[in-house]
Amino acid sequence: MEKLITWFLSPIVFAIGFLTPLIAQVCLAMGWITSTPTAYGIGFVIAISFGLMAQFRGSWLWLKS
Amino acid sequence: MAEVMNSSEIDWDALTDSELDVMERRIAGKYMRIVPWGAVAWGIGNCLVWLSLWPLVLMGYLPLWLGFIIATLNVALSYLPSHEAQHNIIAGAGQPLRWLNELIGHVSTIPLVYPYRVLRYTHYEHHKHTNDPELDPDYNVHAKSDWHFLFKSILNRQPQSGRSGAYPNTLKRTGNGHMMMDAIIYQIIYLVVMFTMAWTGHAIEAALLWWLPKHIAITYIEYYLSWAPHHPGNETGRYRDTRAFKSYWGNIISMGMQYHIIHHLYPRIPLSKTPAAYRELKPILERKGCDLGALEH
Repeated sequence: MEKLITWFLSPIVFAIGFLTPLIAQVCLAMGWITSTPTAYGIGFVIAISFGLMAQFRGSWLWLKS
Repeated sequence: MAEVMNSSEIDWDALTDSELDVMERRIAGKYMRIVPWGAVAWGIGNCLVWLSLWPLVLMGYLPLWLGFIIATLNVALSYLPSHEAQHNIIAGAGQPLRWLNELIGHVSTIPLVYPYRVLRYTHYEHHKHTNDPELDPDYNVHAKSDWHFLFKSILNRQPQSGRSGAYPNTLKRTGNGHMMMDAIIYQIIYLVVMFTMAWTGHAIEAALLWWLPKHIAITYIEYYLSWAPHHPGNETGRYRDTRAFKSYWGNIISMGMQYHIIHHLYPRIPLSKTPAAYRELKPILERKGCDLGALEH
């Protein structure tokens, strides 16, 4: 149970669960991309890149305190 | 001993240190045991307005840009009513309005995704150990300047920052580690809502009604409640760990924190009464060596 909660609260899950659709929907709303699958694909690539950095480096921005 | 309560008639310099203490407690006592009904209405009303934004925006009655501005205000304003409850200002244990105190404590910080018990018990430690690098859970907020604060505030929000461990460590140290379950439950509910909204096509609405307002509000709250009143934060002790300061933006925009020194001296004085208490206590605070900055009134 503890592992499941830790996983759910992890940066990677946030990247997939929220940032991917957010980036995709911003791209679609701004007209930068017109294809929905492409928008979600790009959203996933960008979000997961940041998510992996946050997960393994401990910072979404590379910089750390 | 000066018995006259009209401060203009008191020769403050003639009073001994212990007489000043008596006067200080007597003046402060006048401002305590007052139910802050404004904070009660504020706590409930603010949360209801924020909740109402969701259907209003999603059903197209309110433009998203306006919803974003109101939501940011709501989240920024969500902490202080709970803060009154944390200090039992609305009602202490065993009093008839205790239920209201606890209700405000729990309800008002829902938009901020911070549970009441976690805030309360970590905040008590902040009061007990203000500016102590080891024991003050808000110590990580200290910074050399405004811009340094902003930079640190962003870094503090990263997954492995010292700040993210400050509250759990404080709760563990004080034997309240079980309260972290509240924070986990709040965080899970928050994420379930955000993920559901995002994958049903409402990611931008979720970002602008909750995610971004929460980040802006945390910065704003930490600036005025933690950084500004304790800056430079290198002294401890009753009269030196908190300062008065003159905000460029006035008392309302700075959320009443110009007078935060009064709150640290007498946490049971309601926020709305701290300016009046400050004005009356000022001669004593000056003689106690407090840093009152440029705050005249």
